[in-house]
Amino acid sequence: MLLEGRKISKRFGGVQALSEVDFHVEEGSITGLIGPNGAGKTTLFSIVAGALKPTSGRTFFEGREITGLPADQICRRGIARTFQIVRPFASMSCLENVLVAAVNRHPERPRAALEAAARDLLGQVGLADFADQEARHLNVIQKKRLELARALATEPRLLLLDEVLGGLNTQEIQEAVEDIRALRDRRGITILWIEHVMGAIMQAADRVIVLDQGRVLTAAPPREVVSDPRVIQAYLGE
Amino acid sequence: MTTSVKWIWPAVLVGMCLLPLGVGIYPQHVLIVSLFYVMMAASWNLLAGYTGQVSFGHAAMAGIGAYTSGILAAKAGLNPWIGIAAGTLFAALLGLGLGALCLKMGGIYLSLTTLAFSQILHIIIVNEYEVTRGTMGLQVPGLIPEYSKLAYYYILLAATVLVLFILYRMIHSNLGLNFRAVQNDETAARAVGVRVLHLRVLAFTAASAMAGFAGGLYGHYLLLVTPEIPSLDLQFYVLAMTVIGGMGSFVGPILGAFAINILAEKIRDYGEYHVLVFGLVALATARFAPEGLIGVWRSLRRRPAR
Repeated sequence: MLLEGRKISKRFGGVQALSEVDFHVEEGSITGLIGPNGAGKTTLFSIVAGALKPTSGRTFFEGREITGLPADQICRRGIARTFQIVRPFASMSCLENVLVAAVNRHPERPRAALEAAARDLLGQVGLADFADQEARHLNVIQKKRLELARALATEPRLLLLDEVLGGLNTQEIQEAVEDIRALRDRRGITILWIEHVMGAIMQAADRVIVLDQGRVLTAAPPREVVSDPRVIQAYLGE
Repeated sequence: MTTSVKWIWPAVLVGMCLLPLGVGIYPQHVLIVSLFYVMMAASWNLLAGYTGQVSFGHAAMAGIGAYTSGILAAKAGLNPWIGIAAGTLFAALLGLGLGALCLKMGGIYLSLTTLAFSQILHIIIVNEYEVTRGTMGLQVPGLIPEYSKLAYYYILLAATVLVLFILYRMIHSNLGLNFRAVQNDETAARAVGVRVLHLRVLAFTAASAMAGFAGGLYGHYLLLVTPEIPSLDLQFYVLAMTVIGGMGSFVGPILGAFAINILAEKIRDYGEYHVLVFGLVALATARFAPEGLIGVWRSLRRRPAR
């Protein structure tokens, strides 16, 4: 078990965003995280990544507790994330965006080597031609790819993907799913993936965690999840 | 780096070396003071422009440098050069302490804490008459046995080049890359492993040291260290120079320091009203040219190319 959360709760003022969420992610898996809007998916991500502190509960990564560690330390432990609403470093070039991640992973390496690796990563996400352009000039889909390259440059063992397929057409979704699978198969990166495009999750995930109103509804292989009446009810209502 | 930039800096340096020759003592004085402000504005820019920390304690740090060195020289007979080193170090230590204390709070709290620090220091200096000679000012020895404006000019020029060189290296290293990432998006920067707090404390310590260094040299040039060095007037002067010149750019504060200091001399006849003029110029800059003089110049240069 690579990542584990025990009884995680998060309250924002009067809103109970998460209530005693227990979950885990197996090493080498692609784990989907789904649920209706407002179920607490992104909140859970932010807690795992250290951007938010849980009101109560604990998180463990590789068997060591990471609850409440600052985001930069969690990144160094090997957890990287993309953001639901993209957050590139807008006034920096695409290359520099990726370099920031790379120099903090390997501060000892010479800049030229890091730059070469960063260019390579940009190529892998299809942004080779944009390396020297400022990130603000990219469209949303390109920005999402840039975020992926930036996350990969931190050399994560666990990658948290937050709705990376939004805005893609069917053909592009298919390609993206293949790319994400390749991350796991070729690089051995474990993936925890929030997605609204249900078909993609059902196709790629080994296991799916379903959140509803801040609680875990079920966690099972995709085939069982889609036929679970509680899940159908959560999505469609009574 | 493009070839046009490669020869610009040596050319500017040669120009700066020739500038004070053949002019009178008064213009030389204005140039020396301008160099002090270049060091102040450029190092304050490291905080406000590159790491988003608006400190109001930068003039206070210059005061720390000036008084540390001045007191050591005047009371203990220490060589001023060693005094300046001590003042720089003391300012760095205070910067480190103040940084570690209040950078975790961030934002407006840093501004308020540094404002309080600056006022406390001012009160101490004014009231500890025995040690600091209060508002009368402390007479300090010079850096060179024989007083010469020209010699001071070259000393200040060398110091300014040193400070700017260090700043340039910082900004163009991994450190600078991290600064810019934090300025763009702090949350995203943390998420890719940038140690934001470390970075800020480091910048604060370095900038404080530079202010202390500049203040020490300035005091030994004026031969009289007064509470006007660690004053809010001087602080806002530095702020106006940085904002008007162009915050967050390397050249901006350098231009701003020269422009504002020379302008200040020109409009001195209007007495207290010159402060009003700076307020208006700073306001107009913030409203119409938020990237300052350097931003205006860049957009002018870009336009004909299209």
